[in-house]
Amino acid sequence: MGAQTRFKSSVQSGRKETVLDLAKFVDKGVQVKLTGGRQVTGTLKGYDQLLNLVLDEATEFLRDPEDPLKTTDQTRRLGLIVCRGTAVMLVSPTEGTDEIANPFVQPDGA
Amino acid sequence: MIFCLVYYLVLQLPLSLLKTAQGHPMLVELKNGETYNGHLVNCDTWMNIHLREVICTSKDGDRFWRMPECYIRGNTIKYLRVPDEVIDKVQEEKSRSDRRPPGVGRGRGRGREDSSKAKGIGRSMDDGAAKSTGGGRGRGGNRAGGGRGR
Repeated sequence: MGAQTRFKSSVQSGRKETVLDLAKFVDKGVQVKLTGGRQVTGTLKGYDQLLNLVLDEATEFLRDPEDPLKTTDQTRRLGLIVCRGTAVMLVSPTEGTDEIANPFVQPDGA
Repeated sequence: MIFCLVYYLVLQLPLSLLKTAQGHPMLVELKNGETYNGHLVNCDTWMNIHLREVICTSKDGDRFWRMPECYIRGNTIKYLRVPDEVIDKVQEEKSRSDRRPPGVGRGRGRGREDSSKAKGIGRSMDDGAAKSTGGGRGRGGNRAGGGRGR
């Protein structure tokens, strides 16, 4: 309970300055890419104006050891984590994020 | 005259262009090689950007993801590709501010009626409008002529 109210207050202190208002993602699943290539999903519990994030039930997608660019289906449970803002590269909601077939038409003979 | 110059410079700045590109589709390539295609919602002075209706492409270009929106940290961006019409839009805004140099922030143009340099301020609005539509037509012709040439 105490932890939750603290999370709430950190939510309220989130400034308007940010380009994306993370308030709408609170208690929702988010996908975060970090510098260095790690990719994590979890439930956003808190954030601040530096984009430090608190993620609950976080899961890291492990990468192919031979090709660190590719994420595999293997995951690693991390639990409750704090992502440092300076390392956050990308934030997107998990909901509505899907892998799709190539949406770009291939130019013929281009 | 100085304001004129300042506006000219300001509107050529990359971040001003990006600001003008709000609402337009664009491609963002990150330093790690991933690309993101989406409509720019917002950006700030760190080039942090918010995209909507995004398609993410992996570095090797054979995996794709669709996401409703995403936030990208400015310092991970390698480059952005913006549509040609954004340049036109910047130039349009530039020509508008050239016609009425002190338009924004520094007091409205009306306040400078004593200045001999400000010629025909009373007419300048109509004048400016006429000029800008003329510019619009000219651009249309250019676009038909072949665009970016890629």
